Amino acid sequence: MMRVQMRAQVLRRAVVCAVLLLAGCASGPGDGIYVPAGERPQVPKPPLTDGAAKPADEPQVWRKSEQPLGQKSQQKAQQQTGVPEYRESGDQMPAAAAGLVKEAITLMAQGNGAAAITRLERAQRIAPRSAAVYFKLSEVYAMTGQLGSAEQFTLKGLSLAGRDERLQRSGWLLLADIRRARGNVAGAQQAESRAARL
Amino acid sequence: MKNTDKARKPGRKKPASRKQPAAAQSRRKGFWRILLRLALLGLVLLAGWMVYLDAQVTSRFEGRRFEVPSRVYARPLELYSGAPVSAAALEQELALAGFHKGDGSRSGSYQRSGGRFLISSRGFDFPDGKEPRRHLALNIAGDQVQSLKVVKGPDSGIVRLEPAQIGGIYPAHQEDRILVQLDKLPELLPAALMSVEDRRFYDHHGIAPLSIARAMLANIRAGGIVQGGSTLTQQLVKNFFLTREQTLLRKGNEALMSILLELHYSKSDILETYLNEVYLGQAGTRSIHGFGLASQFYFAEALEDLLPHQLALLVGMVKGPSYYNPRRHPQRATARRNLVLDQMQQAGLLGESDAQRARSLPLGVSDKASFSQNRYPAYIDLVRRHLARDYKEEDLRSEGLRIFTTLNPAMQMAAEKAVTETLPRLGDKALESALVVTAKDSGEVLALVGGRDPRYAGFNRALDASRQIGSLVKPFVYLAALSQPQRYTLITPLQDTRFTLKFENGTVWQPKNYDGLERGEVPLHQALSKSYNLPVVRVGLDIGLAEVKSTLQAFGTSSAISDYPSMLLGAVAMTPVNVAQIYQGLATSGFNTPLRTIREVTDAGGERLSRYSLQVNQVADPAAVHLLQYAMQETMQEGTGRSAYNTVPRALALAGKTGTTDDGRDAWFAGFSGDLLTVVWVGRDDNGATRLTGASGALPVWSNFMAQVPQNSFTPVVPDGVQYHWVNVQQQALTDEQCENARLMPFITGSEPTQTITCAGALPQKIRGWFEGLFQ
Repeated sequence: MMRVQMRAQVLRRAVVCAVLLLAGCASGPGDGIYVPAGERPQVPKPPLTDGAAKPADEPQVWRKSEQPLGQKSQQKAQQQTGVPEYRESGDQMPAAAAGLVKEAITLMAQGNGAAAITRLERAQRIAPRSAAVYFKLSEVYAMTGQLGSAEQFTLKGLSLAGRDERLQRSGWLLLADIRRARGNVAGAQQAESRAARL
Repeated sequence: MKNTDKARKPGRKKPASRKQPAAAQSRRKGFWRILLRLALLGLVLLAGWMVYLDAQVTSRFEGRRFEVPSRVYARPLELYSGAPVSAAALEQELALAGFHKGDGSRSGSYQRSGGRFLISSRGFDFPDGKEPRRHLALNIAGDQVQSLKVVKGPDSGIVRLEPAQIGGIYPAHQEDRILVQLDKLPELLPAALMSVEDRRFYDHHGIAPLSIARAMLANIRAGGIVQGGSTLTQQLVKNFFLTREQTLLRKGNEALMSILLELHYSKSDILETYLNEVYLGQAGTRSIHGFGLASQFYFAEALEDLLPHQLALLVGMVKGPSYYNPRRHPQRATARRNLVLDQMQQAGLLGESDAQRARSLPLGVSDKASFSQNRYPAYIDLVRRHLARDYKEEDLRSEGLRIFTTLNPAMQMAAEKAVTETLPRLGDKALESALVVTAKDSGEVLALVGGRDPRYAGFNRALDASRQIGSLVKPFVYLAALSQPQRYTLITPLQDTRFTLKFENGTVWQPKNYDGLERGEVPLHQALSKSYNLPVVRVGLDIGLAEVKSTLQAFGTSSAISDYPSMLLGAVAMTPVNVAQIYQGLATSGFNTPLRTIREVTDAGGERLSRYSLQVNQVADPAAVHLLQYAMQETMQEGTGRSAYNTVPRALALAGKTGTTDDGRDAWFAGFSGDLLTVVWVGRDDNGATRLTGASGALPVWSNFMAQVPQNSFTPVVPDGVQYHWVNVQQQALTDEQCENARLMPFITGSEPTQTITCAGALPQKIRGWFEGLFQ
């Protein structure tokens, strides 16, 4: 009974996550990508097919110097050369990964957990720092009754949610559901109150 | 018995003493009787022999006919808009996966013009579904796929290329084959084969006496063997059951077994077995059997994609795979192929113009064997050890399993290059090395080098060289400390001064810094980034060895850890793969991610046997790990790892740690970017002294590798419960960001300094005023 309720809750969360995912679909991968010397052509050739490299798809750079720390902080940070870096949120999901997640959602609805995991692991390899992928993995594991794994993937997703309150909230609520299903009432309440504080 | 004897004795004498004709008659009768008996005996023996042969024929045919090696595949390359792959790397991948340069529309071919590619994929049966054949157009700029379009075939935003085969696990006799099914083959192949080797295959019962007679006649006329009269069934029997010696007995057996085989099995069954059995070439110790593998081996194409002139060549090679080897003897091979095409034309399989065109075509053989056997011995070694947990060696050698690994060929190439280029520059010829690359967030092992000669399948140092890890242990000591934020922060001052430890047994331990100096007080972050020994021992003793030990164990250390304080300086032996495992947790904010080399294993029919899923397990507070990651980034910016930036551009943010053991016996570097975790060890197999440190021995290899591959910077997400503050480290106080000595540093919420000071180091005016007011 508990598990049935739990699954219903997880599915509700899934809808929230799906919305989040779709919101993140438009952007490309982070372009922190470093290019080995000699491999970047002098003049990039125009794309062969249309529709890809639109300005909206321009990858997002997260550098410490661009953190919302105020003008002075930026200047100061720029003065320093080579300082440890950090950022406030994880990667958004490239369209290719989002497509795989959508396939996974369909497979989950068909009750095919194993196939959904395969799609999500492919998505994870493409977007390894996207919290949403881990939340989705967590849902599949919860659906298949592997609550231990589900809890761990939620925690992993939360570690990448950064300051994104929507992601944080759905992560903490997901965690609360999973913990309650595992009989960890105190842990569940802790997660819920964490979500409430957002 | 006695009665018989009595009855016979007179009988014997009588004929001798009576008349001659009767004696002759009787002798003749005896002769026939003996002959009859002999014939009967012969028949019985023959029957027995037939029963024996029959058992041989059926047992082999009823059971598993072939031992098929397991195939080991690299990870498939995923192509999508934004995929991180350079044009050069894509071309390498295509070559490894057996694609050839061509028009990009023929299956298995590609066309490249700068960063533009046209690729015609062959399709592949992955364990999670079939990837259909497609024509792709993509454009690469820098190191990313800018656009991908499916020109032909089912549309998709993400496409997997067929994976490169990187090795095989072969039966003891080293026979390699790809099994094919008759009903899935181009009809032309068996027809062509019959037109050349056995025209009456569907009419005879295993042997064709007329053909033998014709062949004998032809051979006598020619004064040598020019024609064979063997049917396909006989050829199969010869290869399948008998030795190659040319004796009458063997010929007799061959004929008998052929008849028996035909009695028991259908023509199509025999033909299919023939197509899979026939020997068609050699690649080193590995022998190429069957048309399925031969097609891959000579043309790098699937059998069903071959054109008539290619099929004709393979059919022609049946007569003598080494004599007609198209790579070694192209002229002979061409002549033989054209002869086969003639025969095919005569048999009505090809029209005159088609045959004419086929004869005019070049052989169309791929440049070299489409894959070399076990090209990555160290990696395959790790794969085999993982497989050994779940599979029997015998099954791996014979069941034709398909093993999908995580090897990234481009990374592997870069890793091998880093080792082979850097090691000779380090001076000592006896130096060896090992390198492990994993995907930071999935734990997939992407590349592995087991020694300075990556092709040599010997001692695999990445897995078996268990060496002391030196300062690589320090992050774990500090992590244990930073997990107690009420006691330790990144700016906690530590004593960098000498001390002596006396043990109960009277022995004395006096640790020293690498440079022998003492610096008084140093903040924790600097003690790690500069890898000072004295502060780390003090911290370790303060929080307790048990605490450090349990941290190491939680991160996946399987080695024995001593209870002596020397373990705080890395007197713990580990293999490079083990180091990669424990650093995985540091690189991923405290999530232990088991290393994996295998994604899936399927049987020969594509049915999934096992899947090795991604697992994560939180073993440390992400907040404490974030602080540690700050100090490990500082190691690269200002500390012992800074020389990495002589090779790697500043734009690539990295984190890492050097490790050196006494007398430079081991030089280590373990570090990570946003995507990759790489561990390098350099040292001597005899554990001898070197003049190297982690920074001068292992870091150059590490940097060489990291500079070669496209990847994202390490910019960790600030976890819950961590805040950045501008601080004056020396004064342990918050300060204004404009101050010269201000440093932006992370703190676990509540552990940041409470005091605020000005740039000059004084308490700000307002507070001072308040204090002054209080005491006036």
